[in-house]
Amino acid sequence: MEILIYGIINSIMLALMALGFALVYGISRVPNFAHGAIYVLCGFLTWIFVRSLDLNYLLGILVALVLTGILGALMYRFVLIRVRGMNISEIIASYAIGLAILEGLRYGGFKGTTHTLPVFVEGSIIIGDIPVDYQRILVVLIGVLLVAFLWLFTHYTRIGLALRGMAQDERAALMLGIDSDTMALVAMAFGCMLAGLAAILLLPLGNIVVEKGYDVLIQAIAVCIVGGLGSWMGAVLAAFLIGFAQILTTVYLGSHFQMVVALLAIIVTLILKPSGLFGQQKELEERV
Amino acid sequence: MQTQNRLILTIVLFSIFLLFPATGAFSAEPIKIGAPLSTAYLYGWDAERGIKLAVEEINAKGGANVAGVKRPFEVEVIDTRDLEPGVPVSEALMAMDKLILEKKVDFIIGGPVRSEAALAAMSLLSKHKVISILTTGALNPKYHALVEKNYDKFKYCFRIHGEAKWLVKEILTCLMEIKEKYGFDKLFIMVQDVAHARAAGKILGKVAAKKGWDVTGMEVYPTGTGDFSMGLIKVKKTKSQVISIWMDMPESAILLKQWYDMKIPALPFGSTLAAAEQPGFWEATKGKGEYCLANVVNAGNAPSNATPWTMKFYNAYKKRWDIEPEGLGSASSYMAVYVLKDAIERAGSLDPDKVIAALEKTDMEGVYGRIRFNPKSHQVIPSFDPKEGAVGSIFQWQDGKRVVVFPKSIATGSIELPPWMKSDK
Repeated sequence: MEILIYGIINSIMLALMALGFALVYGISRVPNFAHGAIYVLCGFLTWIFVRSLDLNYLLGILVALVLTGILGALMYRFVLIRVRGMNISEIIASYAIGLAILEGLRYGGFKGTTHTLPVFVEGSIIIGDIPVDYQRILVVLIGVLLVAFLWLFTHYTRIGLALRGMAQDERAALMLGIDSDTMALVAMAFGCMLAGLAAILLLPLGNIVVEKGYDVLIQAIAVCIVGGLGSWMGAVLAAFLIGFAQILTTVYLGSHFQMVVALLAIIVTLILKPSGLFGQQKELEERV
Repeated sequence: MQTQNRLILTIVLFSIFLLFPATGAFSAEPIKIGAPLSTAYLYGWDAERGIKLAVEEINAKGGANVAGVKRPFEVEVIDTRDLEPGVPVSEALMAMDKLILEKKVDFIIGGPVRSEAALAAMSLLSKHKVISILTTGALNPKYHALVEKNYDKFKYCFRIHGEAKWLVKEILTCLMEIKEKYGFDKLFIMVQDVAHARAAGKILGKVAAKKGWDVTGMEVYPTGTGDFSMGLIKVKKTKSQVISIWMDMPESAILLKQWYDMKIPALPFGSTLAAAEQPGFWEATKGKGEYCLANVVNAGNAPSNATPWTMKFYNAYKKRWDIEPEGLGSASSYMAVYVLKDAIERAGSLDPDKVIAALEKTDMEGVYGRIRFNPKSHQVIPSFDPKEGAVGSIFQWQDGKRVVVFPKSIATGSIELPPWMKSDK
């Protein structure tokens, strides 16, 4: 029972961490290596608004999310647009931005274990003899709603359809009058906001620390590689695979190996099916 | 006219030079202390504050008297980053190299903080013949065992704070007190995947089993682990009553929050538990860490009256840094500077061999009891009695305060249970 409950929770948490990265790459083909840093930054921004400036929690969250989105757009408009299409340069540039954000936060005094955000709902319930706190249940619910929202958004709104068009075939989208750079900018802003949303949901479970940025980036990359770069539905499925694998590893092999699962998943995927479960990149080469 | 003015100025300056020769307190060459610390982490920054506070106090009184010349201390802090995930030992060694070769420090006080890095740095200290007093983080018993085994090579290495074996003894004694008071006998061990924690967890498991404890399990968590639910469920299923935690990673706060939210009926006992040591922990967790026990290794890192110097240091630290001493490394780093000053003054020189001999003869009442080094292993001599040796300190969070509950000689309160736990007696 505990494997099922905490497997689902862990999977949704991984999916939340990875969705922003998957979305940005899927649409703009830019691997946003500043993803983890944005996650941590949004946590600290919320902390500043709520704890230091005494802003209402919900208002603090909204302002932090908007700022995170704006930062994502600025990152694309002033840095990534110049290197778009050059994979290595995109990685170096985005990673450098992430590094600057994380080390800047550390330099600015955001260190230690006392930066925390309050949970949305206090308390816990017992499900089949297994205690689960309400915040984790909320994470699952919001995670499911978010995936549903993303599906509806990309199927029934003009921007969503344009984003999907870009993701499917950028040249064809251009011919239909969709501005590639504008859509990539929107995707970047949206992806960063998703990273921020994940932070706001997950960070109240523990504390906000700079190191989490590197960890979130690795988890997001692992999920996206297994799911297939560019496919956010693949990312959701991969989150469940890795999430359950981590819990099973903890139960049957020991928590010691829990962190290895994500890295092992990357290696196995790259050996057996480099395009991932639902990836389109390199799929043709693999078939040939 | 201009030439005359210049002549007058020269005469005035020359007179000042003759009247006030360069024997004043701060005209002498400073004694440079290098402090290699992982400054982004509690065990790094609190050590830095401890060292700086002691240096400021000593310098305010003129500095150290080296063969009749008062010389001030100067501190050079460098970030070793060795507490970060992945334990980047090479970075810590490069930082040590920089301190010794570029900054040309006379002594090292502080880290490296992580045991792996501290052990690796021992050869470097021997190579350059630089005396180091380890004051924070590194708890691995191998450190002083190596000094004892190969004295001639590693005689430059001293450690002034507690080490894992002694910590295990303290924790076991405290566990026996818990057993005596509440009738508990089931222990679950959770450790971080780093050298000192793995070693200490294993030793504690073995020794506790011999003392009648049923060790129900041991989980090893990689640095950076963000979820402890499965381990806590194991604790609950095995009906464990005490969880021994050895973690200095920030994520240990998640463990304590989960423990509270899941209402796990086992007392969290942090043997090293950085997250719970800080005074800000209570506010950060909104009281969810109440009843958590934490070992801050030496008295003075939490409020007590171990010696007359303990609260004097505690209050001076609070006044200087606007926060109470936060955990392991505060009192010992502060004390190390005073111990070094004392040794230099007795040696009358900065010569490493003379200072080593003087350090080995150290015997002074410090912040956390009588400070003496084992002359063979250079490990500070520990005790449960501050009159006999360096005394430890285990506190429990009670109503927003860090109440020292062990050892009895300095305790200001006793161990209490959370409302969802019952005594077996």
